[in-house]
Amino acid sequence: VKARTRSAERTRALGGAIAAWLRPGDVVVLAGDLGSGKTTFVQGLAAGLGVTEPVVSPTFTIVREYEGRVPLAHVDVYRLDRVQELHDAGFEELVDGERITVVEWGDAVQRALPAEHLAVDLESGAAPDERLVEVHTQGPGWSDRLRAIEAAVARFGEEDD
Amino acid sequence: VLLLAIDTSTRRVGVAFGSEQGLVAAVTLGGPADPGPPRHAERLAPAIEYAKAEAGIDLGHVSAVTVSVGPGMFTGLRVGVTTAKVMAHALRVPVIPIPSLDLLAYPLRHTRALVVPAIDARRNELYFAIYRSVPGGLQRESGYDLGTPSDLSGELEARAEEALLCGDGAIRFRDAFAGLERVEHAGPGHVAPDLAALVELAAARYEREEFVAPSEVVPMYLRQSDAEIGWQRREAGAAW
Repeated sequence: VKARTRSAERTRALGGAIAAWLRPGDVVVLAGDLGSGKTTFVQGLAAGLGVTEPVVSPTFTIVREYEGRVPLAHVDVYRLDRVQELHDAGFEELVDGERITVVEWGDAVQRALPAEHLAVDLESGAAPDERLVEVHTQGPGWSDRLRAIEAAVARFGEEDD
Repeated sequence: VLLLAIDTSTRRVGVAFGSEQGLVAAVTLGGPADPGPPRHAERLAPAIEYAKAEAGIDLGHVSAVTVSVGPGMFTGLRVGVTTAKVMAHALRVPVIPIPSLDLLAYPLRHTRALVVPAIDARRNELYFAIYRSVPGGLQRESGYDLGTPSDLSGELEARAEEALLCGDGAIRFRDAFAGLERVEHAGPGHVAPDLAALVELAAARYEREEFVAPSEVVPMYLRQSDAEIGWQRREAGAAW
């Protein structure tokens, strides 16, 4: 399902709308070039989970953890060159547990990720703050939420009109 | 010889002081029965402080720090191994690193069955090793392995011997071993590496001067990957 957001505020709101449907143990994989709004999206998602701390890019720390109604781990693999570095950052324990894990540039390490995840692809649109967002689920664990998530995202598609 | 012993390789935090004659103090917190997060970082230093204070131990009398170096929980090992190194460095004593799986197996050495400790490695995998009882202790008959519950169950089936499973992984993945006829479970008394075993094995190594400088101690991580990350997109981004 696709959406189009016309401002950073709307990209954040989309993150928040998706957060409402996330559960402990979920993994969200973010794809998109530099400046495509991945961190902005995570800020909205974190706010939706009740995180009150400011969310900043974990590019240099690899992992940042936040307390919300469900704990959130924000991972960025951009600085990594080898899958081993993901193991060395304790990735397996992060994704197998009580928290929600969001992985920026996660599409680059697809094979190291759980097969079940929510994929969010962001792309810059024609206008400066416009973003094209595509959301799809991977694996049967999402089937009971698929409709609700699609409906939540689709509402952002209507901005088009 | 007085030793400080630390194990944080599973969800349980364990601290002990002891000598070749046994334990003087032991504190454990958490474990598979604890519904909350493991909180190794918050629990370890206060546990050491409590054991030290209540047992009336002078840290100046500690001859070495022994630590369970894994395999096991990544975050726990970071906390435990770092704490052991820092304390040993500050006390100017050596470190005696001992694998966690040895510590799970050692208390079960008086069985004729194979002893098979399995620690939950997350993402449907286990850290495990296979030991056989020999006069004077246990002999390890495998590497320190990482595999799925069905890998281990296949290995046990192929060996067709009696086996005794222990560790939190054996409990979490109990169903994977249910079909094996000659396999038994040691049960909840053997879910975490044994602190008395840590002190006993370390005291013996101390006598043989088998210890290392704090700076040389590293956790045993078994997850290995040679794969490079395919970065077509990052290269494109750098150009932009």
